Amino acid sequence: MGCDLEEEPYGFYSEENFYKTNEDAESALFYAYNTFSYNEYVRAIFYINELATESCDVKGEEGFGSQEINRWDYALFRENEQLELYYKYCYIAINRANAVIDNVLNSNLSEDFKSSILGEAYFLRAWNYYHLIQIYGLVPLHKGSITSALQTIAPMPKDFDELYDFIINDCLEAEKRMSVRRVVGRVDKVAAQALLAKVYLSIASSKENQVNGYKEMNKDIAQMYQYAAEWSRKVLYDQSTYGLSPDLISIYDTRKPDGPEHIFIMSMDKSGVDEGNFSSIDKMFIPYKNGTSLWFANPDGTYTKSTNMGWGVFMTTELFANSFDASDKRKTELMAKRFYTKEDGSTSGLNDYFLTRKYIDPDFVGVKSSTRPFLIRFSEVALIYAEAVGPTQEGYHWVNAIRHRAGLDDLPSSLNLADFRNAVFNERSFELAFEGKRLHDLRRKAVVVNTDPRAAASGISEEQAAYYPIPQKELDLNPNIPRI
Amino acid sequence: MIFYEYVKDRVWPLAFRCILVMKLAVCITFLTIFQVLAHHSSAQKINISAHNQPLAKVMKSVQDQSGYPFFLYGKELAKLSVNANVQNMELQRAMEEILRDQPVGWVLSAGTIILKPLPIEKKVASTTPSLTTTMQKQERIINGKVTDAYGQPIRGVTVSTVQVSKVTSTDEGGNYSIPVSFESEMLLFSMVGFDKQEVPVGNSDIIDVVLKESMDNLDEVLVVGYGTIKKKDLTGSMTNVKTEDIQDIPANSIESLLQGRAAGLQIVKTSQDPGAGTTVRIRGGSSLRGSNSPLIVVDGFPIGDAGNLKQINPADIVSIEVLKDASASSIYGSRGANGVIMVTTKKAKNGQTDISIKHQTTLSQFTSEFIQWTDPALMAQLDNEAKINGNMPPLYVGAVNSTGIYFPAVDEIQSGAWPHFTDWSKVVFRDNPVNNTSTISLATANDKTSFNLSANNLLQQGSYIRDNYGKQIVSSNIRHQFNKYLNISAFNNLSKDNRRTNTGLAYWRNPLWPVYNEDGSYFLEGNADYSHPMAWTDNRKNTAKGTDIISSWLLDLQLISGLSLKSQLNYKYGASIQDRFEPDRYTETGTNNKGAAYLDNWMGQVYTADTYLTYQKLFKQNHDLTAMLGHSYEYSLARSSAMESYNFKNGALNNENMASGSPELNRHRNGQTETKLLSYFGRLNYAFKDKYLLTLTMRSDGSSKFSTNHKWAYFPSGAVSWKLHQEQFIKDLNLFDEFKLRASYGISGNQGISPYQTLSRYGIETFYTDGGWSTAIGPGYVIGYTGVGGRYKEWGGIPNKDLRWETTAQYNFGADFSFFNNRLGVTVDYYSKNTFDLLRERYLTLSSGYDRMWVNDGEINNKGIELTLHGDIIRKRDWELSGTFIFSRNVNKVVSLGNAISSGLNRDFLSDTYYEYYGGGMDPFREPSPNILAVGLPVNVFYGYRVDGIVQSDREGEAAGLVGAEARAGEFLYTDLSQDGVFDTKDRTVIGDPNPDFMASLNLNLRYKNLDMNVFLNGVFGNDVLWSGMYNSALYVPLRWTPDNPSNEYPSVRQGRLHYTSDWFIKDGSFLRIQNVNVGYRIPLENQKWVKQARISINAENPYTFTKFEGYDPEVGLNGRYGGGYPKLRMFSFGVDFTF
Repeated sequence: MGCDLEEEPYGFYSEENFYKTNEDAESALFYAYNTFSYNEYVRAIFYINELATESCDVKGEEGFGSQEINRWDYALFRENEQLELYYKYCYIAINRANAVIDNVLNSNLSEDFKSSILGEAYFLRAWNYYHLIQIYGLVPLHKGSITSALQTIAPMPKDFDELYDFIINDCLEAEKRMSVRRVVGRVDKVAAQALLAKVYLSIASSKENQVNGYKEMNKDIAQMYQYAAEWSRKVLYDQSTYGLSPDLISIYDTRKPDGPEHIFIMSMDKSGVDEGNFSSIDKMFIPYKNGTSLWFANPDGTYTKSTNMGWGVFMTTELFANSFDASDKRKTELMAKRFYTKEDGSTSGLNDYFLTRKYIDPDFVGVKSSTRPFLIRFSEVALIYAEAVGPTQEGYHWVNAIRHRAGLDDLPSSLNLADFRNAVFNERSFELAFEGKRLHDLRRKAVVVNTDPRAAASGISEEQAAYYPIPQKELDLNPNIPRI
Repeated sequence: MIFYEYVKDRVWPLAFRCILVMKLAVCITFLTIFQVLAHHSSAQKINISAHNQPLAKVMKSVQDQSGYPFFLYGKELAKLSVNANVQNMELQRAMEEILRDQPVGWVLSAGTIILKPLPIEKKVASTTPSLTTTMQKQERIINGKVTDAYGQPIRGVTVSTVQVSKVTSTDEGGNYSIPVSFESEMLLFSMVGFDKQEVPVGNSDIIDVVLKESMDNLDEVLVVGYGTIKKKDLTGSMTNVKTEDIQDIPANSIESLLQGRAAGLQIVKTSQDPGAGTTVRIRGGSSLRGSNSPLIVVDGFPIGDAGNLKQINPADIVSIEVLKDASASSIYGSRGANGVIMVTTKKAKNGQTDISIKHQTTLSQFTSEFIQWTDPALMAQLDNEAKINGNMPPLYVGAVNSTGIYFPAVDEIQSGAWPHFTDWSKVVFRDNPVNNTSTISLATANDKTSFNLSANNLLQQGSYIRDNYGKQIVSSNIRHQFNKYLNISAFNNLSKDNRRTNTGLAYWRNPLWPVYNEDGSYFLEGNADYSHPMAWTDNRKNTAKGTDIISSWLLDLQLISGLSLKSQLNYKYGASIQDRFEPDRYTETGTNNKGAAYLDNWMGQVYTADTYLTYQKLFKQNHDLTAMLGHSYEYSLARSSAMESYNFKNGALNNENMASGSPELNRHRNGQTETKLLSYFGRLNYAFKDKYLLTLTMRSDGSSKFSTNHKWAYFPSGAVSWKLHQEQFIKDLNLFDEFKLRASYGISGNQGISPYQTLSRYGIETFYTDGGWSTAIGPGYVIGYTGVGGRYKEWGGIPNKDLRWETTAQYNFGADFSFFNNRLGVTVDYYSKNTFDLLRERYLTLSSGYDRMWVNDGEINNKGIELTLHGDIIRKRDWELSGTFIFSRNVNKVVSLGNAISSGLNRDFLSDTYYEYYGGGMDPFREPSPNILAVGLPVNVFYGYRVDGIVQSDREGEAAGLVGAEARAGEFLYTDLSQDGVFDTKDRTVIGDPNPDFMASLNLNLRYKNLDMNVFLNGVFGNDVLWSGMYNSALYVPLRWTPDNPSNEYPSVRQGRLHYTSDWFIKDGSFLRIQNVNVGYRIPLENQKWVKQARISINAENPYTFTKFEGYDPEVGLNGRYGGGYPKLRMFSFGVDFTF
């Protein structure tokens, strides 16, 4: 009961008492990773990237801005809940990554340790800026962590070149600092290489298709394709930790988050208490059927159990379900209309639409599951390589490897570059279905309105469809953002 | 105040002093001094040996030995020489001995030995010729009895003659006798707390008098911070609330009784849950994000924010003072900005032992019917219509829906084939919740020690079934006069309460569902039905227990004449423990986690140590000075811990063993906040000739909540007052009993933010990686939740080292008038208070990754007038009628919100006004909040669209700039205020103001003999209410637009319609409530020895409300939001109150 008026922090950490040990630094890095698992971020991945495409519709009762995205109600986008949330959470992750970079860079921790922690932090910053520019176009650029009010208003980068150079530089820093080391939920050197490949392919194909912002970029399309090919080639050929999974079903097995395909997978577990720690992605895809458990037939004659209380938010469109080849296992094995209500498959029912089996967890507990969004899969990198390198022998090799796994024949062998790239592009829609990649694919090819009938019906132009507007709340508070 | 042998030519100065002393007796300090002298040693034996000594000298000796002061009638008596040999005698015998054979009588009255010449009739031989010359032949003795309005004798009334000043006082039986010399003499009866009364003597020898308790006694002593002041010497603005008026109204805490009782005091009861608190404001809110609640001070102990002073039994409270202006409140410095409510508890009266028993039983009922569907078929039909209009399959089609529940078709319901129609409000609510409160108290006092003991038991039933609240309080108040100089008192209060919460049950549940299935199990709407009210009631656990201790110790030391030192040590302790369990069925969390158990502990304690010196002196008759200087230290500590446990093999233990859940799911949280406040303060009261009054106060506060450069702040104030009625030119008007002008200015502060806001703060989460959970720590932590159902986190954690105090500068001009022998009193005040450096949370760019941070900017102004009229309309022996009318108007304005960019303000397109959203979102509106803070406008105004009827054709909708579904016929026709041809956010404007234009109340007291009646009306006028639930209210939905019913008032029903905040939802919330009607009867007890007082009362709280508002009740929170809820309660109480 002393009389001094000093305030002692109690029960919380701050810069002053943190970043002292390796464990501190690692937990700060985890804090950055953890941003991904918040509901606001996880669900937005699907609300935005799937609902805005031809693959998915949303159930009528669903709110939270999902309907507006689904019907491309452009006038409402500035205040759309999901677009605001995803935007904000990308920046939360960036700020957390910046805090790691700022503090660890100047710390006395061992160089080896610093290097790998920093590598991951650079990766996370790059990852989020890459998604921001994909979704919103040019966005404010925070290069350091925010510790005072003055730093909360970030400048806009001059153009796409500046922001992409920043992203690429971060990726290179990350790639340089990390080694190949698989830890579920974290990234390593291979992930950084994959991200570089993704970034270069985005630039190359977007500029090639005259997408706003990209078409003004001071980058050479061919060189961008070449870089994309080089970096993805490193993933395909220069390491032995990751590879193609021999069969499809096991890729999506929640018990195998360390399967060969998963270069970067989100980390959630059903043992968590709060949503975000555990996942409920499965419920968004699986419909409610009388509250009983649903089983799905496996190719080996067994049945896999799934949650019994889905919300059925995301409904596969007929258009998309019909676009698959009838013998494509990615439809026959990974999508199902028939569900079974008994474990032995003795009773069954038919759903209204083909639902994806990519997000089911037979070990679910109540609403809790371990279904995790797939952020970078090996097969995606293989397709990036194929698309970048074109109809070479290696290009054909990788795209056909993926087709064979899906039970399909080789691609026609003498496609020209454009047709080959289109074929690979189509392959992506089947291979990466419901994995949050589709919207960006449509945008970099400038085919949103062409592909999604709802976008076409809304009357928006392809230019408008290329990005969502920066949220109104940011516009209101950040004077650096040009007004329209 | 030493009594001495006052033997002057006129007795009057002595009488004057006597009266003065008796008036002062109310004041604790002086009372105790008086007692020390008066009753110091009454039982002491007296020894006197006098030989031809003047009576005065002998009596001085008696005074010294007995402790009783004396006075002599006329200076001749003083010189009377007496012989006495008194050895070891009691006072009685000693006096007999001293006065033996003397023509002098004596009486011990009001603690004073009064000596007077014996009546001439006694024919005692005169030994002193000078004495006989003063004895008038006509002199006779008037006897009589003084009683109060209820016939109870009053002891200690000063009875004096007006022309030839003689004085005496009444004894325990109210009897007096006084000699008078002329028939034209007048007798003056006076007593603190009663109106003076003059009676002509005439030729009667017996004069009985009934004294009336004064309604507006200027000698009343009011409690202010660190001291007391006479009401007549007030310079600031404060209101005293008499507890007699509210003694019969049922209440859990005192605040709810204060509604409408003081001008400028606003009390809003937003919750009807048992044990719920109230919102308290004095002269409007002056802080946006800090606390707006006045400080509540109980017997000198600053307890904290007003709102729910549940620890103190309202029956133990004797008076309440509301300090409103800065002059009155700034002595509390950083906590005075919102005003101060001073509560004084009952103290025993000297020489009396009272045991009182008070009991009250209250029955409640809803004031109105539920607004709900009475025709289930219509409900189903409209639900289908809404679904179809929203392009969704209708539900009531006689089929099993997607959740596996059979929904009957409309005609099935119509025909009665569907057998169920449940009135859920009957299932969920009690018919007549009963409250019982009983208090037993003992009060006793003698010369040295006084104490009060009180015990209270309160049992309150909630409106919801099995929702209960119980509270027990024991309290003691002990004072002891240790010696002439030292007085010690202790107030100790122990209370415990317990709550079983069963609120929020779904009375809005589908009336087509039965409560139970035929087998007695709950009827559930599928497995994911988590809102069955009976399943909740039977299976959930939510109980809380609390313990509170308030302990206050006061040492009062008389140093030298006029200088006293008071030292008060206060301690408050509160602890609560909450048990919750959600079973693995019927509840969402429980189902998801196979049972969820919680155990939350909280403990808070506050110490304060105040020490202050008070010096009072009257210089040269004309300069009355009181100076006070003090120091205070406050330390407060709050700690909490919370345990969560999930996934139980067997839920039978519910939360009794937190270790029985899955170990890896156990969660623990704990927290601590610690704040310190160090203060120095002083006050100077100066009165010149009792005409010109000056009060100056100063306080400096240092708080641990702020950074080094901003820890200290200074809060000065000053007030002047001019008692015009003391000026001859006003006296000559012969109109005013009181005419006083007051002016004050002062600065007070607000530190009402949480601690640690100037420190950077990291968050802690868990992250799953590599097959296990790891702790994740980093910048930003969750500071709140937003969005539908609070689904989205809000992030904070950017420190602001520059945070400083909020400062409120307030001036006040007031006047007090009193006319017609104090029968009409008027008090008027005008004030203006500016609060700047507002502590508020500014919004940050989304790209910062943070939502809000604390800043000081912006300014807010409240100004207003307050008027109190009090009239004693009829004042007769059997009949009395008095009334108090209170009017107050507060105009609130946001002057500034700081720099538009750095504060993150939005800009209104139409008016260019800067604004920000204030408060959280509200269903079903899409905006972040329907309330805004807008520069130049009152706090909390509603912001949204204007609706100009209903779209009657698609063409009309499109022409109005609407698009898509919103342009169809039957939709809201939003006004295109920006006139740009499209309906968008530019069309928003200010659409309503929830702040009342004025508030008024009227309190009428009527008494006929022993029967008294009180009627209290309270009204709030000119406030808007936003009724968010209007769009789906059973009142309005049937009136919907359809092609056949092209309503221009109500839109069509359409599921999936997006709702924008609009003036369609805004209603006038004015109301005039008959707040309370009370009838009491004081049972006459003339022949009762052992019952001193008995009273029975019947009370009706909230019997009727006049309003145009169509919802249940327009009394909503200060932000004007009305979500629906359930009807207001009306309460009937029966009470008995006995004193033995």
